[in-house]
Amino acid sequence: MGSMEPFNRLVRLAARAFYDDISMKGDNQPKTSRGDNRGMAVVVLDALTRRQWVREEDLAKALKLHSKQLRRILRFFEEEKLVTRDHRKESAKGAKIYSAAAAAAGDGQSITKEGEEKVKMHTHSYCCLDYAQICDVVRYRIHRMKKKLKDELDSRNTIQHYICPNCKKRYSAFDALQLISYTDEYFHCENCNGELVAESDKLASEEMGDGDDNARKRRREKLKDMQQRIDEQLKPLQAQLNRVKDLPAPEFGSLQSWERANIGAFGTADPSAADSSRNPQGQYGTPMPYLGETKVEVALSGTGVKDEGAESGTNGNGLKVLPPWMIKQGMNLTKEQRGETSNSSNLDEKSEVKDEKKQDSKEDEKSIQDEYIKAYYEALRKRQDEEEAKRKIQQEGDTFASASHSERQVGMKSKREDDDEGVEWEEEQPAGNTAETYKLADLNVEAQESGDEEDEIDWEEG
Amino acid sequence: MFFHIVLERNMQLHPRHFGPHLRDKLVSKLIKDVEGTCSGRHGFVVAITGVEDVGKGLIREGTGYVTFPVKYQCVVFRPFKGEILEAVVTMVNKMGFFAEAGPVQIFVSNHLIPDDMEFQSGDVPNYTTSDGSVKIQKDSEVRLKIIGTRVDATEIFCIGTIKDDFLGVISDPGAAV
Repeated sequence: MGSMEPFNRLVRLAARAFYDDISMKGDNQPKTSRGDNRGMAVVVLDALTRRQWVREEDLAKALKLHSKQLRRILRFFEEEKLVTRDHRKESAKGAKIYSAAAAAAGDGQSITKEGEEKVKMHTHSYCCLDYAQICDVVRYRIHRMKKKLKDELDSRNTIQHYICPNCKKRYSAFDALQLISYTDEYFHCENCNGELVAESDKLASEEMGDGDDNARKRRREKLKDMQQRIDEQLKPLQAQLNRVKDLPAPEFGSLQSWERANIGAFGTADPSAADSSRNPQGQYGTPMPYLGETKVEVALSGTGVKDEGAESGTNGNGLKVLPPWMIKQGMNLTKEQRGETSNSSNLDEKSEVKDEKKQDSKEDEKSIQDEYIKAYYEALRKRQDEEEAKRKIQQEGDTFASASHSERQVGMKSKREDDDEGVEWEEEQPAGNTAETYKLADLNVEAQESGDEEDEIDWEEG
Repeated sequence: MFFHIVLERNMQLHPRHFGPHLRDKLVSKLIKDVEGTCSGRHGFVVAITGVEDVGKGLIREGTGYVTFPVKYQCVVFRPFKGEILEAVVTMVNKMGFFAEAGPVQIFVSNHLIPDDMEFQSGDVPNYTTSDGSVKIQKDSEVRLKIIGTRVDATEIFCIGTIKDDFLGVISDPGAAV
């Protein structure tokens, strides 16, 4: 613990230098003097230097603080990179293990025995100081403070800002071209046309009195004074940083590793009992049952694998169906190879091996198609006869108008009939030879064309 | 900083210019349109030094205008943060002074002027040292350092400082008289 002391001293100095006037109030709480908790951050950091990993509830009890208030302070320190926090769901048994570890670490806490342990899981938060990071944070913070003051003092690379005293609008030096007034050569606000004031001069005039042209000099003097005071006040902290620089920073590791190490070192507590409820991931809970070693069997026979050359119609595990030209007398073939099973339906229909049923069905299809063709031709002849008769009637008609009107109706009707007949033929036509269906379609087209031509002739006559 | 780069631009030409001097017309229009302009990416186009390539024209429907893709070499000027420039003072007021380095406008605010120089108002507003040896007024030449640039689509504005080593007045018009 001897090596811890310089680091603890550094933390205490840093706490008093940077965090002694920070008020940890909620946003909705009034900032009154009655409930003022300034300096609480220093108290918490001091308490953490005397502990390693500590549960936040226990720390709150020890400091007689409300847990919510402590949590707010610790969250702030976590953002400031001074504190490491860990949140964990655990049962009462897990809490007991932590308390054993804490007692082992010399925290002076005894293990409380409980008759009935609840299985209910609660989220508990733990925290500890991150000494290695604290050194870096403090060093960086001091560097930033000094650099900012030096830059302000030198006024190097700082872009001037201007404020309108009336409407409080801010402008930067980049807006100079738009703001310049060519009447009085001063900067004027775009909103209210008020004369702009340089921000640093405004600050100087507020602090010092009159904001004349020499305000910059006063501001410079003030900055120099501030720089001297900072150097003076941070001297002990700087000295402590230099002392700590070469020392190895104490590390507690993660909460789980710290617990494990401390329980191992602790003699009175039973470590096996403590670790029995831990699963291999280091979390508390029910361990997975042992199911024996996992065995992996790899089938290399390749029976289930489909050959690349196999046809899509055949199953991978079945034998390949042989084509008829390969089958010869005296060959020992299975039924599958002969193509006698359901798989053989994908074979070419022109092969020599044919069933009688197939032949019968084909003959039936042909006879049906012949009948359809005959019926179709008869229907065409009838329609032509009807059209000729209608044409004669039209010629005998009295007026052209009535004739043309009737003719239009006839045309419409015939077209409708065509469509209907076409649909009927398509519906009734079975799946047979495609060549014959094309023939039918061609005929249909021809019939329509002839009808159109007749219409055109009629119009010419009119 | 100055750069010699190749840029490309689509030029629209009226049909009346189509003839034996088409290329000359195209180049003269390019120079007229491009020289003196500013783009945020490349800076100010100072001069066109040559035309590399004139592509095939594309006729625009309805208007008859033809669009030619033209590749040209040009000198561009682009100021950078931290660059040292020599500029001529154009205006002095109590807020600081404005200076021009070619096409670039630079503003030096009064807190980026050395502390020993104070603003003197009068007929000729200026910043003068306590002993009166150095004076910054209109038409003075100053060496300054750019500490910030604002790049817009059509202009570049800079903020400068003379509060550093080897910066300040390099020639005073008042001293010559």
